[in-house]
Amino acid sequence: MNEQISEIYTEEFFVNMGPQHPSTHGVLRLLLKMDGEVVLDMVPHVGYLHRSMEKIAENRTYYQYIPYTDRIDYVSSMFCNQAFCMAVEKLANVPVPERAEYIRIMMVELNRIASHLIWLGTFSLDLGAITPFLYCFREREKILDLFEMVCGQRMTFNYMRIGGVSRDLTPEFIPAAKEFVNYFLPRVDEYEAILTRNPIFLGRTKGVGLLDQKAAIDHGVTGPSLRGTGLKWDLRKDEPYSIYERFKFEIPVGENSDVWDRYIVRIKEMRESAKIALQAIENLPEGPIKTKIPAVFKPPAGEVYLRIEAPRGEMGFYIVSDGTPKPYRLKIRTGSFSNLTVLPMISRGWKIADLVAIFGSLDVVLPEVDR
Amino acid sequence: MSPEDIKKLVEDKFPGKLKEGKITGFEPTFILEKDSLLHVCRFLKESKELSFDLVSCMSGADYPDRFEVIYLLFSFSHKHKMSLKVQLPKDNPEVESATTVWRGANWYERETAELYGIKFKNHPDLRPLLLPEDWNEGYPLRKDWTGKDFLKLPELK
Repeated sequence: MNEQISEIYTEEFFVNMGPQHPSTHGVLRLLLKMDGEVVLDMVPHVGYLHRSMEKIAENRTYYQYIPYTDRIDYVSSMFCNQAFCMAVEKLANVPVPERAEYIRIMMVELNRIASHLIWLGTFSLDLGAITPFLYCFREREKILDLFEMVCGQRMTFNYMRIGGVSRDLTPEFIPAAKEFVNYFLPRVDEYEAILTRNPIFLGRTKGVGLLDQKAAIDHGVTGPSLRGTGLKWDLRKDEPYSIYERFKFEIPVGENSDVWDRYIVRIKEMRESAKIALQAIENLPEGPIKTKIPAVFKPPAGEVYLRIEAPRGEMGFYIVSDGTPKPYRLKIRTGSFSNLTVLPMISRGWKIADLVAIFGSLDVVLPEVDR
Repeated sequence: MSPEDIKKLVEDKFPGKLKEGKITGFEPTFILEKDSLLHVCRFLKESKELSFDLVSCMSGADYPDRFEVIYLLFSFSHKHKMSLKVQLPKDNPEVESATTVWRGANWYERETAELYGIKFKNHPDLRPLLLPEDWNEGYPLRKDWTGKDFLKLPELK
């Protein structure tokens, strides 16, 4: 019987997946070469969300560009804000007050949780589990409420400034944030109870989409996807920026570099982020929140590249200044851009249903790819 | 390795071919001749003491007298970093592709080729990446580019 089946010849054919496909979360088009249900090869087509962020930057002042950075990756805007502001601060040697640094870390770590929650919700939804999606959005709502308290925005925050943050914390923020962290930690156990040892989930994720560590580095994969291959590398720990060296946290890594490992790394990261946020809340000093800088801000001529650890990998800004109020050249490096290039390699030979799981596990956000 | 050690090692290997640049955050920075790019890249990746395995970022830039291609490199095994620059003439910007050394350079080069019109020789696949399929209005990131709806912000003093 088996021999007979293997003799059946099926013609190879092409399928367009996307740009409007529910599992591509945005506008990604995958041109798939299929043999029956098996993916033989694929070509990703991007650029549907290209907004020429880098050209716009050359035509805006440094202040004016901060709201644009929100839209690079709207799921984790705080990181884009932080990376851009830190790059300009490094370029112009602007000091950041202690309190502002603590507030920044509080915000980005809460944002990391929110970003991972969106990923977890949609990823489990793609694999057919609907309940975690509802749970994740329930908790994310609380984080967005916290952000709204601080900066009045729920998505594109425009919160950080060159030399600090735009507004001080409101009095009700600290108790609310503390309450959230204590509420959130047991919730992670809840997600794990639904997914981590669930046989259906394991069947879809264990051993699927193996990503070789060497190939991953060669392709420029960073962030949780790289840590899923077992490499203990986190810019917060290994190249501490801001004031991360004062915080105690672990870097979770995977063992088998499959979809499940990338899942568990992000789950553990949420716990660590909550712990960092709590430490920042507890040690928050008093003081100013922003360094005064001139209204027409002209950083000295020079070049800078600064990278931070965003939820999707390294986020970096390469800025060339010519001493005028506008950047001469600004290049944005995002995690998703490089992480997406590895997709054809790791999905070859898997079924199209597994492709959805593999793509989901890379946590690609398309506006970040296209910019 | 410290930036000074990397600088010394690379300069000893390629005497007289390198000029020094400065990118804050990714020191040391070298400016290369375009013909020696691939040679230097191979050495940086394969040398045991350096083994730069990650292209952290790659970018182009347009200056009044030249184009530049910038490579920001990092090594996971030694946890050190450096940056490279290649200067290209205005009239025929063309450089060897580094994709054979680091596969991660592939999309960055596609992007740079599309937005700056810099040719990368021996690149496996130089199709446009980001712009619309029917784009025929030139290379938008060049400084002299003007599009139909392109408005420039007034100069600030």
